[in-house]
Amino acid sequence: MNALNNKSRLIGIVTGIAVLGYLILFPQQHSASEVRLWTTAIYIGIAAMGLNLLTGYNGQVSIGHGAFYGIGAYTSAILVSEHGWSYLATIPTAAALAFLVGVTIGVPALRVKGLYLALVTLGLAVVFPDITKKFVHGVGGTNLVRVSRLDLAAPSWVPAKAAALDQWGYYLTLTIALILLLGIWLIVRGRFGRALIAVRDHEAAATTVGVNLARTKVLAFALSAAYAGIAGALSVQVTGLANAEKIGTFNLSILFLVAVVIGGTATVFGPLIGGFLVVMIQSATSDFVANPPIFTSFFSGKEVLSPALFGILLIAFMYFMPDGIMGAVRRSYRQLEKIVNKAPSKK
Amino acid sequence: MSTSNWRRPSVLIRAVAFTSGLAIVLAACGGGRTDTPNTGGSPNSGAIKTAACTTDPTKATVTGDTITLGTSLPLSGIYSAFKGILDGQTAYFDYLNKDLGGVKVAGKKYQIKLEVKDDAYAAEKTVANVQSLIDSNVFGLFSVVGTKNNLAIRDQVNEDCVPNLLAATGSPAWGNSKYPWLLGTFLVPYPDEMKALVDYLKVNQPKATIAVLRANDDFGGAYSETLTSLVKGTGLKVIKVAGYDPETPDTRSQITTLAATKADVLVIGGALLACPDALKNVATSGWRPTTYMSGTCTSKTLMTIAGDAGNDVLTVLPLMDPLNPIFASSPAATLYRAKIAQYVPTADAGSGLVAYGWTAGAMLQKILEDSPKLTRLSVMETARSFTASGIGLMPMGSKFSTNIKNDWFLGEQFMLVKYSTSKGYFSPIGPAIDFNGKTSSFTPKALIDG
Repeated sequence: MNALNNKSRLIGIVTGIAVLGYLILFPQQHSASEVRLWTTAIYIGIAAMGLNLLTGYNGQVSIGHGAFYGIGAYTSAILVSEHGWSYLATIPTAAALAFLVGVTIGVPALRVKGLYLALVTLGLAVVFPDITKKFVHGVGGTNLVRVSRLDLAAPSWVPAKAAALDQWGYYLTLTIALILLLGIWLIVRGRFGRALIAVRDHEAAATTVGVNLARTKVLAFALSAAYAGIAGALSVQVTGLANAEKIGTFNLSILFLVAVVIGGTATVFGPLIGGFLVVMIQSATSDFVANPPIFTSFFSGKEVLSPALFGILLIAFMYFMPDGIMGAVRRSYRQLEKIVNKAPSKK
Repeated sequence: MSTSNWRRPSVLIRAVAFTSGLAIVLAACGGGRTDTPNTGGSPNSGAIKTAACTTDPTKATVTGDTITLGTSLPLSGIYSAFKGILDGQTAYFDYLNKDLGGVKVAGKKYQIKLEVKDDAYAAEKTVANVQSLIDSNVFGLFSVVGTKNNLAIRDQVNEDCVPNLLAATGSPAWGNSKYPWLLGTFLVPYPDEMKALVDYLKVNQPKATIAVLRANDDFGGAYSETLTSLVKGTGLKVIKVAGYDPETPDTRSQITTLAATKADVLVIGGALLACPDALKNVATSGWRPTTYMSGTCTSKTLMTIAGDAGNDVLTVLPLMDPLNPIFASSPAATLYRAKIAQYVPTADAGSGLVAYGWTAGAMLQKILEDSPKLTRLSVMETARSFTASGIGLMPMGSKFSTNIKNDWFLGEQFMLVKYSTSKGYFSPIGPAIDFNGKTSSFTPKALIDG
């Protein structure tokens, strides 16, 4: 059994190194558009990681994390464009602000759970764009805040190979994603992680063994909000703007949740992979409908079908992988291992 | 771990290691990425300064016989009705490429190719689309739809010095001289609509009280703020302004509020479905004001939704209404209907959006043909100082013009029109209106510079 664990760990390490190597080399080999798409996939994955902490590990459902993402984006964009902050300095600030708002929302959310909590957070997603329209004075009298590309450029210490705007954004996002991934890994293996899971599985039992229910739930909410805030701040580097629309904020919230479920709830790597996949599938379905390689006459000029195709693919995904990518990977690994172990040894 | 304990890795681990190594090698393959250094533009003595450009707009970027342009518009989502614009453009470019052999620029004929991207009306997606289009080295952008969407990209097109031609919105923000690389379209600028209405009311209802329904965004603000400014010193009075959420165009409660004022005139500064919704709500409220509706709502589809409630509504049209028999027999309208039927048979030739798209295609051809050279700078300078008449579905005698020194708005000649439900089309109710070169003079400065 121990040997099996060691083997799994070794495979995990080798795979991890390979994936990391690929990720590091990616911007050197691909166009700026592709690099920006991958950056987007990574920061959506970051938001999904945070939501997974809340939903997967702690059992609290939120469909309002698009608002925390928006808080992060606006914090970063406003501080850079209107107050002359360095972009890098705005990222922890965005995280801190989203964390504080998360605490503010998390405290009243203690009184509701399940579907009711989902509705409260939905309200947050709906009201957030209205708040920005009232208080943010962006370009042309809108709530759109633009940031100059000069303000988002790589600092002078960044090597030339990574200094193009898209490459810098990519490496920055990837680095932060890895740090946050490590953070999740440490959390779920520590005392707080055990408390999160205990609260999810049985609140009363968790309380009897000394878990502070309120503190655990609020902290989970705030931490997941901070992750979404960081994702929002990172999005500014790619899009050069902060913006909030009702449908957009709601869609984003759902996208984060879908990423968590597709990747695998309550898994460390799942949401990052899920975030990556939903962005790629969305992009691929959009491209497919725009330039269909098959059924050309059916799809021609029917871009309106793109979201439907995206939805169908997600349903298919969940049908074949009900426990997400990580669940499917685990099952496949076990099957592969059985096959390999059955194969006759050369010795 | 001591070396004596080391064992040869299993087949599975070796397979994973091999695959991983292969993945890294594959990532490293492919010839590598070579970024074109940003050399900056040459300082020029022309009206558009290019010294700060990240790419040199004085260089020829079209090498073959095809000019590739990019566009971004909502093809999915609740604003997907704007696809009608693309249908009109597609038909025009097919007609231009196949029937006329292309567009002639500086003595050489080129085919026009339009790279189309869907943004679902989301500004972030427009930015991503435009970045991707510029990366793929399109010559310029054409007819990007939406005020917010164009505001989101105007810094980038300005920094990269990429022409953004005929941005499909009538926002007064396109008069901002800090952004020479964005040319608004020939849609009537929203402040011009209000100026035409105020002039009409001064003659026909000089003491009228006015209620305004506006979208809660910059688009709606362009109507209400210009109107409030223009009625000063006249017998007209704006007595109530009610805003609605442009993302959920349900205007029932706002119309109830406005109807309670019993104002003589209602102005609808809204877009798409909000217009027929407001018209129907007015009809059921029992209130019978003179109603003016945004020029962006002059679509057959929207008027069909409004039904009888749309009768006698006032609005503006810069182009011929393709359904109006006065224009229907003109050679321009005949050609338009024939080519729409030939190249995009699924499109509705009676739609104002399709007619607009067709004319925008023709206007682009005019700008390119007037340009002495096929460089981004030359085309942009041409677009900033040109005159068009008899293009697409422009009415006879109508003229659209720009002047880089003092006139940045195109659609300043238009008709005030009234809709007849029984006839099913808009008819002019007076002579053509000409505000050529005057838009900036009556538009609140904040709307242009904001």
